[in-house]
Amino acid sequence: MTGKKIWGMTIAIIVLFALGVYAGGQKAPAEGPAEKQILIYNSNWSDAKYRIADETVVEMFQAENPNVKVIHSIIADEDFKAAIRAYLQASPPPDVLTWYAGNRMRFFVSKNLILDISDVFEQEGWKDDMPPGFVALSTLDEKQYFVPTNWYWWAVYYKKSIFQKLGLEPPKTWDEFMEVCATIKGDGISPLTIGTKWRWTTGAWMDYLNMRVNGPEFHISLCDGEESYADTQVKKVFNDVWAPMLEKEYFIPDAPAYTWQEAINLMVTGKAAMYLMGQFLETAWPEEMKDDLDFFQFPIIDPSVPIGEDAPTDGLFVPAGTANPELAKKFLAFSGSVKGQEVWVKQLGRMATHKGVDSSLYTPEQRKGNELINKADFIAQFYDRDTTPPMADKGMDAFMEFWANPDDANEILGRLDEQRKDLFDKN
Amino acid sequence: MLTTSRRKTIYRLTPYLFVAFPLLIYLIWVIGPMLYTFYLSLTDWDGISDMNFIRLDNYRRLFRDRIFFTAFFNNIKWIVSFITVPIVCGLVLAMILNRSVPGAKVFKAIFFFPMVLSFVVMGLIWSWMYQPDNGIINSVLRLIGLGVLAQGWLSEPDLVIWSIIFVGIWRQVGYVMLLYLAGLQSVNTDLVDASKVDGANGWQSFGHVIFPQLAPITVVVVVISIIDSLRAFDLVYVMTRGGPFNSSQVLASFMYNEAFWNYRMGYGASISVILFMISLLFIFMYLIRIFRTESRA
Repeated sequence: MTGKKIWGMTIAIIVLFALGVYAGGQKAPAEGPAEKQILIYNSNWSDAKYRIADETVVEMFQAENPNVKVIHSIIADEDFKAAIRAYLQASPPPDVLTWYAGNRMRFFVSKNLILDISDVFEQEGWKDDMPPGFVALSTLDEKQYFVPTNWYWWAVYYKKSIFQKLGLEPPKTWDEFMEVCATIKGDGISPLTIGTKWRWTTGAWMDYLNMRVNGPEFHISLCDGEESYADTQVKKVFNDVWAPMLEKEYFIPDAPAYTWQEAINLMVTGKAAMYLMGQFLETAWPEEMKDDLDFFQFPIIDPSVPIGEDAPTDGLFVPAGTANPELAKKFLAFSGSVKGQEVWVKQLGRMATHKGVDSSLYTPEQRKGNELINKADFIAQFYDRDTTPPMADKGMDAFMEFWANPDDANEILGRLDEQRKDLFDKN
Repeated sequence: MLTTSRRKTIYRLTPYLFVAFPLLIYLIWVIGPMLYTFYLSLTDWDGISDMNFIRLDNYRRLFRDRIFFTAFFNNIKWIVSFITVPIVCGLVLAMILNRSVPGAKVFKAIFFFPMVLSFVVMGLIWSWMYQPDNGIINSVLRLIGLGVLAQGWLSEPDLVIWSIIFVGIWRQVGYVMLLYLAGLQSVNTDLVDASKVDGANGWQSFGHVIFPQLAPITVVVVVISIIDSLRAFDLVYVMTRGGPFNSSQVLASFMYNEAFWNYRMGYGASISVILFMISLLFIFMYLIRIFRTESRA
């Protein structure tokens, strides 16, 4: 090999490498007529059914805008979460990204990484057409940054046949709930199933117990790092409400061995009766047993505190560095519109944020879920979306540790609060 | 026509040119990121915000972090298990299958099969087998009347790391067996026969004649086992993701968790630096040994 060839190859390798780096945010070459505009859209809707809905929205948008070509990549949710910070720093970044409302969005806004889309809200009239709760979720300092495209509710799902067999009614208050649990347990069935292999399912119990005991306002301050985990109010939740449930073994044994889907199996086979879970439980529930599944609102513990419910909201935002702000806003306007949102309602039974979506599209369950959320005084997003990612990680570990050692609640919460001080710079 | 001096220069440069590419690639993909990791470990970078240089704060925090010690001791458990159980079992299997036992080839293949599977596949299948409610292990235990032994294999904080290590061992045994089988081919049979003639029994000829000849293989096996245990990540990540509450965390999964889930790149980097130091310790021990044998030869 001559020196020249070697240098040639060296250069080729460097160029290839550089291209690889650059391609992260680079537009792929346009196909077809050269004047087609390119929109890069990365989403995390990787489950089969979600993927179809997501692709349908993109196709409809392209059909309406024949001069636009959307380069759409669907990335598995976990990889997406790990990669999003890299996407945002690419130059240029993708034009549109999926994301979650709540703390996770506010963090990026505070770093000036999200484009202000108040004009889209203005032009589409969304401030009137969306319930104020959803506009508030998208807003920081009077400006909008996020289009909520769909949401789902959380509730206690239960197996009707077990309730019928034991003559039980869906409980409304905590005492009734404890009685229901005791009756089911007495019949040799685990009252509640849960799969904590991936820890986030414990976050729902933290959300609801803390909101029902201390109210949503306190809960959100706690998530924001403003309140202490070692506070007597939090200790009350763990020692007086949660621990007795664990001591009476109201949850299935060996919960950490199951994923949230695997835990459904115990309910399907009749070994457990209830599951605190999001609406997506329905997509994992066997079709032929659909009539046996229903849900009720998480029981009220203290009637004097305002009612908070978890209703995680998904949507889209535009990275601040986009090369095509106008086109990206156009796509957001379409996704948030009645037409765009109806796809999620029709194909997945998700809930729309636009009031214009025809309510006759909703099934009776969806209407019930809608009512549940509309009655609420406050909408929370979910523990791991309302607090920062590292805090959520430490928090969920603490809940898991508490699960295994309910007697050590005070010590565990004390340690967790040290973590909070460290992570929120409160030292 | 090239002049002699030019010819000489080219002759001298050629080896360097040959090494140039691998070296360049190595610099870009290995040395560069390594140095960058060292640098990152001294910052509080979260993947997005400006980096603040915080000197050794991450390390100070690390040595106060209970999870770090859990992960560290889990790695130690892994190393100790890996340099004992698979080596003994692998050697025994190799000794047995090296004779002309009927069906030896089939057994060799069977014991080696787990090596063919990827860690992810193994992790998934074993987590099903470990399932407390209807997994095959607990079901069989209940079936044969040993229901009391049925456990939450992956949900008991004290048990979980052993359940995972067991899967690793299950895989490693076949690998070690194969290495020893290869080593046994180079054992001098004359010496073995001679020891038999001298009246040594099977154990004596194994202990004094065969095993010493396998020493080089044993060193390789030990080194591979240690490196494999320090690299342990896949099984933990697939089977428990470090849970419940970090009881099964190892350093690599802890690092991944902090860096890519919690977006604490600086903190994650400091964990990988520690892991690197530990690996380096073993690599040095190995290299020193190699250099000694080479200089002796």
